[in-house]
Amino acid sequence: MGKGRKNKVLVMAGLGLLLVSVSLLSLGAGQVPVPLMTMLSILGQQLGLAALTGAAPTPEQTAVVWHIRMPRILVGILVGAALGVSGAVMQGVFGNPLADPGIIGVSAGASLGAVIAIALGLTAYGMYYMPLFALLGALLAVGVTVALSLKDGKIPVMTLLLAGVAVSMLLGALTSGILTFMNEYRLREFLFWMVGGLDFRRWEHVLLAGGPVVVGIAILCLLARHLNILVLGEAEARSVGLPVFALRLLLLFVASVTTATAVCVSGSIGFVGLVVPHIMRLLIGPEHRVLLPVCALAGGLFLISCDTIGRLLISPAEVRVGIMTALMGAPYFLYLLRRTQKGGGLS
Amino acid sequence: MTGAGQNALVVADVCVNIGENKIINNCNFRVGRGEFVGIIGPNGAGKSTLLKGLRGMLPLVSGEVSVFDHPIHRLSDKKAARLIAYMQQEVNVGFGFTALELVLAGRYPYLQWWQHEREEDRRIAQKYMAFTGVEDLADKPVNQVSGGERQRILLAKVLAQETPLIFLDEPTASLDLVYQEEIFRYCQSLCKEEKSVLIIAHDIKLAAKFCSRLILLAAGKIVADGIPAEVLTVDNLERAYGLQAAVFLNKITGNLDIHTYAVSDKTTRKPHIHIIGGGGAAGDLMRVLYENNYPLTAGVLQGGDTDAEVAAAFGIDYVEGISFCAINAKQLLQHRKKIMAADLTVLGNICYGQQNIENLRAAFTAVNLILIEDSSIKKRDFTGGEATCLYRELAERSGVVVLTTEEFVSRINNNISLLGEQGSSERSVVY
Repeated sequence: MGKGRKNKVLVMAGLGLLLVSVSLLSLGAGQVPVPLMTMLSILGQQLGLAALTGAAPTPEQTAVVWHIRMPRILVGILVGAALGVSGAVMQGVFGNPLADPGIIGVSAGASLGAVIAIALGLTAYGMYYMPLFALLGALLAVGVTVALSLKDGKIPVMTLLLAGVAVSMLLGALTSGILTFMNEYRLREFLFWMVGGLDFRRWEHVLLAGGPVVVGIAILCLLARHLNILVLGEAEARSVGLPVFALRLLLLFVASVTTATAVCVSGSIGFVGLVVPHIMRLLIGPEHRVLLPVCALAGGLFLISCDTIGRLLISPAEVRVGIMTALMGAPYFLYLLRRTQKGGGLS
Repeated sequence: MTGAGQNALVVADVCVNIGENKIINNCNFRVGRGEFVGIIGPNGAGKSTLLKGLRGMLPLVSGEVSVFDHPIHRLSDKKAARLIAYMQQEVNVGFGFTALELVLAGRYPYLQWWQHEREEDRRIAQKYMAFTGVEDLADKPVNQVSGGERQRILLAKVLAQETPLIFLDEPTASLDLVYQEEIFRYCQSLCKEEKSVLIIAHDIKLAAKFCSRLILLAAGKIVADGIPAEVLTVDNLERAYGLQAAVFLNKITGNLDIHTYAVSDKTTRKPHIHIIGGGGAAGDLMRVLYENNYPLTAGVLQGGDTDAEVAAAFGIDYVEGISFCAINAKQLLQHRKKIMAADLTVLGNICYGQQNIENLRAAFTAVNLILIEDSSIKKRDFTGGEATCLYRELAERSGVVVLTTEEFVSRINNNISLLGEQGSSERSVVY
C-alpha cells in the first residue's frame, strides 16, 4: 500500500510539474519569442503582483503572452482535462477500456449543432452561437441515446452502445446533408470546427468553458469511489447496494456535459479521452479517486503539448491540435487493438 | 432486528421470469439462522435465477421474499446489502483493481456517499482476507491471480459485507478439489457463527458432505428439500437429472456417495439374473448387470458385507443373512425361491466356510448357471474339502458355464447373450 501510494503521489507531482513547464514553454515560444524573465514579469503585471524583474516587456509581448497565448493554453488545459476525465468515466461506466464520450453520440451531436449554427449564418452575429448550438446538439444526442436504451428502469450497456452508434450515424447523415447545401466559405468554417483547434481562443472562451468544466470534473471526482464499484459490473454493484441506474445516469450526464462544453469551445478533438485514461490506468491503476485527477492533469498536459508542437512544427503556419492528437493517438489506439487481439486482454 | 427464533429468509410462492419465460415456479421454503443450504439441480434448473430473485436483482412475478421479516423489495439498496451478501459467477475484474480494493467494495453499504473507507473498514477487509488466506495478495491486481485465489478474494469481499445471510452462486466453479472443499469449509465455519449460507453447488457429493440441508431444483420447481440423505435418493436424482444413479453411504469417507452410469437400453426385456455372492465377490457383477439394466436378485449376503451394501445401493432385492452366523433355514428357503424364479444364476468367486456353504448347495437349484472362477476352488475352500467336492460336482453338470469375472463383464458390456432362447428347457448357455 505504501509503495503504491508513493507511486501515485510521484505521478501526480510529475504531471503537475510537467504541465507548468510545458505551459511556460508554450507561453514563450512562437513567432514572437518572449524570454522567460520577461514573460514572468508580464504574468506578474497582469496578476497584479509586483514586477518580478527589471526586464520591461514591450506592449507587443504583453499582448501576445496575455491575450493570445495565455487563453489558448488555459482553454487547452480545460479541454484536455475535460476529455481525459470524461473518457476515464465513460470507460468505467461501460466497463470497456475502449469507450469514450463520442461513443454515446456526444461528438456527432456537437457537430450537428455546429453545422446548424454555421448554416444559419449565426456565427456572424456572435462567438457564442456556435458553442451553444454544439452544446445543445451534444446533449440532445446523449438524451436520445439514453432514452432509446432505457428499459425497465435499466440502461443495458450493450444497448446503450448500439443506440449510440445508431444515433451517431443518423446525426452524421444529417450533418452531411446540411453540408452538401452549404457554400464554400461556410464549409471551410465547419471544417475548422471538425478538426478542433485552439487558435484564436480568447478569454471569453476560457470563461465560457471554465465554469462547467471545472464543476463537471469536480462532480466526477467526488463520485469516483462509486465509479470504482460500478466498474465491477452491474450485478456486483447492485449486490453491495449501489443505485446503479441513478449513478449511471448521473455519470453519463455529467461526463457528457463536461465533454460537450469542452468540445464546443475547441471543436472536436479525438483520442484524448481514449489514450490518456488508458496510459494513466497502466501507470497508477484503476482506483478512480486517483485516476480521475491524474487524467485531468495528463489530459491538459497532452493537449497543450500537442498544441505547442503543432504550433512550432511548421511555423509560421500551424497544425491544428485536433490533427496532432489524432496523429499521436491513433497509432497508440491501433497498438491497443493489436494487444487485445493477441489475447492478453486489456488491463 | 435479528433476534433469535427468526427466519433469516422466507420464500413464499415465488415466481421469477426472465423476459417472457417463467424460470422459477412457485418456490416455497424458509431458511433459519446458521443453516447451510446447498441448492443443487441440473443446468438450466433455475438455480442462479432463484438466487437473483431472492436477492431482489430480478423482479418477482408473484410471491414474496422476506429477509429477517423485511420484504426484500421494500428495503433500500444499502439496507438490503447489509443483510444479504451475494457472490455471483461473473465479476468484471478486467480493470486491474487490487485484491484489497476489491474486498473494500464489500464495505460500500456501510459508507455514506461522500465518505471514504475508514480505518475500520480496512481492518475488516484485512480480517476477512486473512480468514480466506489471501492477505498476502492485498496489493496484487486481481486479474493476475490464480482462479482459486480469485474466488477466495471474492469470498473475502462478500464476507466483508458482514451480512447475516450469504448467497454464493457456484463459488467453486473452475476450482480444483482442494479449493472447492476449502470454500465449503469456510462456509461451514460461517454457519457456526449463526450466519445462514445459500450456496449453488454443482458437485452434489460436496454439497451433501458439507451442507446441513439441500434443496433440489429441477425445471424451476423444488423437487426435494431436506437433509442430504432425504434429498439424495435414487428417485429424486432420476426426476431432477434424468440420471441413473445409486446412492450409498461411502464407508471409507463416511459421506453419502453417488454412483452414476449411462442409461442403457430399457426397451428389450433382459433375462432375470440371480447372483450368489458374499465377501465382496459379487460387487462388480451386480454393478455391471445393474447398469446394463438386468432385473436382479441376490443372496445370501451377510449384513455388513460389501456385497450387501452394493445390493442395497442399487436397490437390488436380496436375501440378507446375519453376519458371522450360518445361513438359517428361513434364509435358505427364500434364497432357493429366488434362484428358481431367475432365468439365470451367477455364482460369484466366493470363499466358502461353514457359514455360507449353503449358498453353494443352493446353486444346484438353478435353471441355468454360470460359475465365476477367478481363482481355484481349493484356495477358496475353508470347509476342509466339502466345498471343493460340491463345487466340482456342480461344475460337471451339463450346461453349466465357467467364466472369469473379466470374461463375464465383457460379455455383458458387449451385449453377448448369456442365455439361449427364453424359457428354453435346454440346460445350456449360448455363448
